[in-house]
Amino acid sequence: MASEVLLQAIVAGLLFGMVLSVVALGLTIIFGVMDIVNFAHGEFLMIGMYTGLLVSQYTGADPLFALPVAAVIGGLLGYLCYWLFVRLLLRGPMLAQLLGTFGLMLFLRNLALLLFGSEDRSIQKGILVGKSVVIFGSCVVPSTKLGAAVLAVLAFLGTYLFIEKTKIGKALQATAINPHAARFMGISTDRMNALAWVIGGAGVTVAGGLLVNFWAVNPYVGLLFTMLAFTIVALGGFGSVPGAFFAGLIVGIITEFPGIWDAISLWTGWNWMYKVPMISFKYTWVYLAYFLIMLITPKGLFGWKR
Amino acid sequence: MKRLFLALGFLALFLALFLMEKGAYAQDEITIGVIYPLTGGAASAGRELQMGAELAMEIANGKMPELAMDMAKEAGIKSMGGKKIKLIFKDHEGNPTLGADLAKKLILDDKVVGILGCYHSSVTKAVSAVCEQYGVPMINDSSTSPVLTRQGYKWFWRTTPHDGTFTMDLFEFLKGLSEGKAKGVKPVPKEELMNLAAACEKTEWGSAASQLLEDYAKKYGYNLKRNLLYTAKSADLSSEVRSLLAVNPDAMLFASYTSDAILMVKTLKAQKAKPKLIWGQNAGFDTPEFRSTLGEDIVGILTRTVFSPKLGEVKTISTQINELYKKKAGYDLSDASSRGFTGVQTWFHVLEKAGSTKPEDIQRAANSIEIPGEQLVVPWKGIKFATSGEEPGQNIMGSGIIGQYQKNKEGQVVLEIVYPFELSTANLIYPFPGY
Repeated sequence: MASEVLLQAIVAGLLFGMVLSVVALGLTIIFGVMDIVNFAHGEFLMIGMYTGLLVSQYTGADPLFALPVAAVIGGLLGYLCYWLFVRLLLRGPMLAQLLGTFGLMLFLRNLALLLFGSEDRSIQKGILVGKSVVIFGSCVVPSTKLGAAVLAVLAFLGTYLFIEKTKIGKALQATAINPHAARFMGISTDRMNALAWVIGGAGVTVAGGLLVNFWAVNPYVGLLFTMLAFTIVALGGFGSVPGAFFAGLIVGIITEFPGIWDAISLWTGWNWMYKVPMISFKYTWVYLAYFLIMLITPKGLFGWKR
Repeated sequence: MKRLFLALGFLALFLALFLMEKGAYAQDEITIGVIYPLTGGAASAGRELQMGAELAMEIANGKMPELAMDMAKEAGIKSMGGKKIKLIFKDHEGNPTLGADLAKKLILDDKVVGILGCYHSSVTKAVSAVCEQYGVPMINDSSTSPVLTRQGYKWFWRTTPHDGTFTMDLFEFLKGLSEGKAKGVKPVPKEELMNLAAACEKTEWGSAASQLLEDYAKKYGYNLKRNLLYTAKSADLSSEVRSLLAVNPDAMLFASYTSDAILMVKTLKAQKAKPKLIWGQNAGFDTPEFRSTLGEDIVGILTRTVFSPKLGEVKTISTQINELYKKKAGYDLSDASSRGFTGVQTWFHVLEKAGSTKPEDIQRAANSIEIPGEQLVVPWKGIKFATSGEEPGQNIMGSGIIGQYQKNKEGQVVLEIVYPFELSTANLIYPFPGY
């Protein structure tokens, strides 16, 4: 029983972690390329979630088919944000960039509140919704989570290959490493910045489209994921793409710490362990991890950018 | 100069109109402020409460001699010359601070005679404190945390039984099950249902419910192996459910509001949970939204409640009111709507007895009314408030029932009564069929 519970927790943590790493991908790319922390990142995610929900509700199609729509909307949103807003913020001091994206966060959240109301909404119908599969003999996994995790890994891999293998991806990397030198080489850094926002926006809205399959959406949903994404980016190293993936998995497992605790308490049979309300502090461990990372290794596990 | 006079003239006109309207209010209507969660996670329960309260108001203000209720006999409140009751609804969104603000507004701006509400125990707690401070009477129809009537308030009365009663019902039910009292089920050895696991939402109501489960489990000799609290606004409850399943429970007990109750059952299904018994502490487990969203997935789930359309089989008045409600809402009266209805009905009796809108008269009347059980849609012996003892203001004649969702011949999912055993309307489905 103890090993079953442990397996369940770890599998659930890894699957959730895979989705989380796509959530964090955009944040780390934007930071890597232009040293801007996007506080509105979670709100982009929320927009992705509403896109998935509304597209499937109004067309009757499966929420998974909403993913391309979410990607287009996210990319467009990222582009517009950069061109109309962030580009201008770059001229100001660092503080302006911080407060600017913070303001964007408040704006998007309240806009969603105005348009969709404060109620929780979730997807009721879909190919994967409400079904589950059994893997490794005894481990029950909801299909929505498994599907989301697989697609998340594919999306991540695609983005990674794009950045590593294509010419444009290399230009993006050059801009990240040294914008001045990149400009001398004939790379339009302005366009590269915009591209970073397009990829960042599309990535996180796709993550939202995946997430909405098993996670109810409301206008405030972004905050939790912004926090989780920050932890992942800090752990993986600001700007590091592979770092975001592995850090995502680690954070996913940390969120399942109560399950691991359950497994240990079953294994030891100690009664006091059952009484500890671990589950009430589900996300506390993530923030504690964030604190420790900042204290011990501020560069993160895979940090490459100083 | 001319402009100034003009402006002053307009101002005077506005003021006069405003005062006239206020005056008109005071003359032939008695206003009660009603604070319910009309939006947010418990909105569906809030709308039910509202419709139940509105129906009672319509009956009180009209004349319906075919109903065997004092409130239906005459139009309006007889002792005050036929004055009508007017309800002013406000939405607290499940937020105690907002609830308290709304109560102040109702008391100071709308000059209400009294307050009714508020469903969430946390909100009721905040609102009752405001009412106590201003000396305005408040009747609570739908909050069940035992704490509310243990604060020694002088301006607070509660019609519904509280979770102490309901939790005892649950354990009496379990005990009866082992003694073979349940209809259609052979005696279930106590060991078979020994291990319990509970999850309650963590505001005032859920945490009090959780504590009660702990206390009563000990008292009745059951092992509550896991008793966790969770946030009702959670978007994902899978780790909570896995934590419950980790202790391999025989029975799973919940205290949840609407959206989390639905998510909980969905997650139980996704995790292929198969306990022998699932019981919900009313609220989310007893809303039309819960039934319509989950459909057949709830067959076999138990919930404590104060109303089931099946009550009509033993009570005529329940059927009559249910028919009226059906015309209004399009579906059956439920736990929440019947409690909202009873809340306004109680206000009617209190006002009728008081004969004035002075707070002191209302207080005296509330402490001495007695509404006989025959006039109530709910299966209580009546309404009579305790005036002394540990729980002043608590209705001492209330009781609860436990219902089980079952599929009837027409294929609809209905709530059958399974406890009290003598009121059973169907055989108990045991064990829970699973997914």
